[in-house]
Amino acid sequence: MPSEQKVIQTLCNSHCGGSCVLKVHVEDGVVVRIETDDGEEPQFRACLRGRAYRQRVYAPDRLKYPMKRIGARGEGKFERISWDEALGTVANELTRVKESYGPAAILFVASGGDLTYVHNDRAIDRLLCRLGGYTGVWGLASFEGGMFASRVTYGTAATGNTRDDLLNSRLIILWGWDPANTVGGVNTCWYLAQAREAGIRIVAIDPRYTDSAATFADQWIAIRPGTDAAMLIAMAYVIIKQSLQDQAFLDRYTIGFSQFKDYVMGLEDGVPKTPGWAEAITGVSAATIEALAVEYATSKPAALLAGIAPGRTAYGEQYHRAAITLAAMTGNVGIHGGDAAGRAWESVYGGYPYKLARPPKSVGNPVERDAPPSRVRMHWNKLADAILRGRAGGYYADYKLLYLVSTNYLNQFPHINQIVSALRTLEFIVVQEQVMTPTAKFADILLPVNTLLERNDFSAGLGTPPFYGYLNKAIEPWYESKSPVEIGIELAHRLGISDYDIRTEDERLREAAKTVGIPDYDAFRKAGVYRVKIAEPYVAFKQQVEDPAHNPFPTPSQKIEIYSQQLADMNHPQMPPIPKYVETWESGNDPLAERYPLQLVTTHFKLRALSQFENIPWLRELEPQAIWMNSADAQARGIANGDMVAVFNDRGRMIISAKVTERIMPGVVCIPHGAWYSPDENGVDRAGCTNVLTKDDYSPGGAFPYNTCLVQVQKD
Amino acid sequence: MQLGFYFDQTRCTGCFTCVVACKDWHNVEAGPASWRRVKVIERGKFPEVFVASLTTACYHCAEPACVLACPADAISKREEDGIVVVNPEKCLGKDSCELCLQACPYEAPQFSAEDDAKMQMCDLCLDRWAEGKRPICVDSCPLRALDAGPIDDLRAKYGDVREAIGFVYSAQTEPSITFKPRIDGARGDGL
Repeated sequence: MPSEQKVIQTLCNSHCGGSCVLKVHVEDGVVVRIETDDGEEPQFRACLRGRAYRQRVYAPDRLKYPMKRIGARGEGKFERISWDEALGTVANELTRVKESYGPAAILFVASGGDLTYVHNDRAIDRLLCRLGGYTGVWGLASFEGGMFASRVTYGTAATGNTRDDLLNSRLIILWGWDPANTVGGVNTCWYLAQAREAGIRIVAIDPRYTDSAATFADQWIAIRPGTDAAMLIAMAYVIIKQSLQDQAFLDRYTIGFSQFKDYVMGLEDGVPKTPGWAEAITGVSAATIEALAVEYATSKPAALLAGIAPGRTAYGEQYHRAAITLAAMTGNVGIHGGDAAGRAWESVYGGYPYKLARPPKSVGNPVERDAPPSRVRMHWNKLADAILRGRAGGYYADYKLLYLVSTNYLNQFPHINQIVSALRTLEFIVVQEQVMTPTAKFADILLPVNTLLERNDFSAGLGTPPFYGYLNKAIEPWYESKSPVEIGIELAHRLGISDYDIRTEDERLREAAKTVGIPDYDAFRKAGVYRVKIAEPYVAFKQQVEDPAHNPFPTPSQKIEIYSQQLADMNHPQMPPIPKYVETWESGNDPLAERYPLQLVTTHFKLRALSQFENIPWLRELEPQAIWMNSADAQARGIANGDMVAVFNDRGRMIISAKVTERIMPGVVCIPHGAWYSPDENGVDRAGCTNVLTKDDYSPGGAFPYNTCLVQVQKD
Repeated sequence: MQLGFYFDQTRCTGCFTCVVACKDWHNVEAGPASWRRVKVIERGKFPEVFVASLTTACYHCAEPACVLACPADAISKREEDGIVVVNPEKCLGKDSCELCLQACPYEAPQFSAEDDAKMQMCDLCLDRWAEGKRPICVDSCPLRALDAGPIDDLRAKYGDVREAIGFVYSAQTEPSITFKPRIDGARGDGL
């Protein structure tokens, strides 16, 4: 007789954009199999990443014990130590650095590795705030451009509809968005499939013929990276020229259309933004632009789903602002079947009209009481520069200690070679991690953290219908790994912080459930999922549009701000008060293009969630990490499918295999990001890690330019 | 009675969830053996490109060529449900035989990287039917593109379609499958 098998329900919350049910089969304390949701439809079915979670839990490179570095930083040589020694060292170093240099010398940097309520980076934020404060970073790598544009234009980033509302559309435009790879909330593709089967026309605009385009779209429009705003603005030209705009909507709900119109028609700068003007910039034919503009303006309701990838470019804010403006011009905001064209990725912590559990607010960072956050914090992309130059470079402090939680910082942020230099100069680095990532190799002390299957937690589901999920602990923590909350409590004890939040996991979870109005905690825990019943698909800004007198838009003017005084006050040439096409650095016209003539885009990959799952054999074997290039670009370089090629620019170099395909436009190459940086003895990356090539700069609104990058490719 | 599969190719994004779910359920290590596989078919020239995906396991053919080819009687077809099963203890192994793989039009017989690995392949989740569940691949698909059941029922429900992009129907083996196929040059189902 086999031992008794238990089935424990939890969620995979792995920063892919989804939040999906896992039913974990456990035998003698070991995960033996994983199933997914088999309950009421629409089920929250997990994708391949969730299905491979067993190999993530038992990965050979899981960190079993606390360790201290014995080789050079980055070399990956460590020695097992006790938790007592590890935490003692971390506590001593925090105290030493704070007393020697002041609390601003402590950098605390965290990202979205754990998107759950209890076990996330806040445990260490709370700790460091109580200790005297720290220096943090600003910017959301995925969609800062979209957040910025949505907040400026709508007054909020909560601009999304539930996905079932797509079935009310007559036209769906997937602009730079590939949910077949990026999920975008569980069941997004399921609703796109249903929309296609209902005969709703779908158009995809992307430099690549993505999996989503190939499966769902009637039409693919290939566009040069970084030029999306130009196409949108030319669409506005067509709509205005043919008087197809919803003038009543514009008059009632927006401000600044006339200034925008003057720019579009050429009254402002003498350049009418015609489809012909845009064709030269975007590579999209004038006829195609004109046809889509007419179609979008006359197919109401139409959903322009503005993906966040085109916003991850230099001046990517302009693309998002232009998309929102087009949605307003066509009256597709606040109605069923439309879309506000804000960032198309619904935040866990905002967007829907039901209460959501936010992680407990920061207790307040003392360093940011001494000086405004804008002075203290640096943009993520300038962290390495700040470490290297400190006060002498105009930064707020000289930085000595780096505490990294839930982030593969070295791998996932631009200009790795600069980050490597920076990490080598610090006095102390502590990393909380599950596996030996490229970042973990730079730690002085490495603290092993457990996975989603080894603790209880709570999450607001990204899905349709909206739901809350309970993450039930399925197995005991791997070897000596601990949860983030446990680490915080134990460090607080060592640092003598008496007012640290030491509530148990269970107490925190009960409070979270209460906050969001879940009536029966124990029933919720048992069921694992609590669906929020909504009478109809949720549509952002429906109240503002139906009853504007009582529901103003939360902007200074109480309207959708096509013209923004906030932006005018920034007085930044690349951040005009109306949406404009602003040519990026490293565009095809840059003199640099003579040496580096190919535009690189760095996309999400279905085999990974950012850099998570890179170490999973079941996933790695499915597709090789490769650079996509069009056959025309490949032939010009004597490159055949499967050849090893060098990809390089002034910032770095990698060797990677080539995938020669017609699925990408000539002049553009694509490498999926998240492969784990693996330098050879000459510093050449052998894994295909995109950030050896990307630039460590940022847009005036904070957009991360991961998709603005010129490279050259040669046969290796 | 003959069990079989239905595959809606118009819904398949090529996400591989079925492949991984199968490996997890049947405890198949990473490596050359994969009971279910996804093939991506790319045709055309930029910008007129066509891409479709095909997921394939064993089609549990009415007249399985593998059964006839096996010199060791290791492969058999169950009378009660038509599932083709392999007895690894009888299998002669990859290095000395592989006749089943040569006979199968669909590469269903799979071998791990081990020395002289024994044949393994999709058993249509025999164990799950016993529990009243459908195969793990069917229950995993985020697009609900797969179904399984008595092939006559599937053909009554979805139609009897024996063509799909990347698939060639073998009149000799009679695979137990029906499709909703992609149509080359058209989106999805040609709408």
